[in-house]
Amino acid sequence: MKVVSDFAQRFNVQVRFDKRLLVTRENRFFLVNQDVKRFLPVDFYYAGTYLGKVKGNRFFPSFELLALLAKQGAYSVTVNCKAAWLFICGRDVFESGILSTRGKPSRSGYVLVLNEYGECLGFGRFSRSANGVVVKNISDVGDFLRRER
Amino acid sequence: MSGREFFGARYRQLGWELRSVKPRTAIRVNTHNIDAEALIKRLHAQGVELVKVPWLDAGYWVTRTRVSVGATVEYLLGLYSVQEAAAQLPASLFTSLNRKLVLDACAAPGGKTVQLANLMKNTGVIFALDVATRRLAALANHLERCHVRNVIACLLDATRASTLGLKFDRILLDLPCSGNFAGDSGWFKRRRLSDVKRNAAVQRAILAEAVRCLNDNGEIVYSTCSLEPEEDELNVDWAVKNLPLEVAEVNCYGGEGLTQVFGVELDNSVKLCRRIWPGETQGFFICKFRRVHHR
Repeated sequence: MKVVSDFAQRFNVQVRFDKRLLVTRENRFFLVNQDVKRFLPVDFYYAGTYLGKVKGNRFFPSFELLALLAKQGAYSVTVNCKAAWLFICGRDVFESGILSTRGKPSRSGYVLVLNEYGECLGFGRFSRSANGVVVKNISDVGDFLRRER
Repeated sequence: MSGREFFGARYRQLGWELRSVKPRTAIRVNTHNIDAEALIKRLHAQGVELVKVPWLDAGYWVTRTRVSVGATVEYLLGLYSVQEAAAQLPASLFTSLNRKLVLDACAAPGGKTVQLANLMKNTGVIFALDVATRRLAALANHLERCHVRNVIACLLDATRASTLGLKFDRILLDLPCSGNFAGDSGWFKRRRLSDVKRNAAVQRAILAEAVRCLNDNGEIVYSTCSLEPEEDELNVDWAVKNLPLEVAEVNCYGGEGLTQVFGVELDNSVKLCRRIWPGETQGFFICKFRRVHHR
């Protein structure tokens, strides 16, 4: 599951999952607990905690994985209520909406976007421009609604 | 005779007068993810007014709102689900769910699966089955959004659940049914009695299969959102007469199950079921079964 740990490293997080509890279904990755593992049939659709999927050469993290990274101190920005709303609508985050930054994300590096309650709304690419800091939206929880269309 | 007149006459025979209803929007707090009080405060700040549904533990009516309750940040973070109030009852009727092996036989889109996981505090294991991959995708989204961690979802017809080779402690059968007119203006035009009878037969097949997968001390909760007795009381009556099941008493919202249906007298235990005619909620029917060992 190198693809998951490589992704986590981009947020300066070392993830350590018990390899026996990581399962793959086609191009999708799951983390299960001992109970789920014990009953897991060969042919399943979804199990335990969904971590993400690989499509082409790209890894698409789940929001569960992003939330796990947030708990482990990943690079992140905390944004105000208005910026949070705009972010989940697919918009970028501008400096005026950022309340604080955790860690030192590199230029063009990944950062999580958290709301005032520390809940993870998604992630984006951190950049600095003449107009200040911007987080370019890559993925946000509004995707749950877009998927249903 | 129009469908409205035909079904209306049936309801009248069952003791209920057909009328227009508008079920209220309800949400269910995912208490494993947030404390109800904290959520109410957060939603209130966005112009969402909630009032507790008196007969539910974590259910709230939405009395007024300036935003769509299905599109708030809190909803997208899985802090609550939009779930009709009567539909919140079935999962709440099981005794002790912690660390149990549970089957949700017709699971998608997953509202009740998430509720079960919440009641189980993500302990034990839930097998969530459905017959369509597209519906499983919707279930998976729901599980991911609400941070559910104890579910195994499989593409499997509920009438083949025993092929899993497992015995379950608790089985939720929220069955595919004919639905009802509340919130579906075209219902009377679309539905025929033949649909009702076909659905009733499928429901019996699923129930019989569920019994094959039930532990000795197991419980089955059977529910539909159909008002038609063929899918409700008549199926329960058939079950207590043909399967090793008895109806268990439940203490929840709703009226007694009917024991006289179109001139037929049913087993007296059928009255322990709950029938909810549409009004503040949609129409609903619930029965809790326990396995009996003497049959």
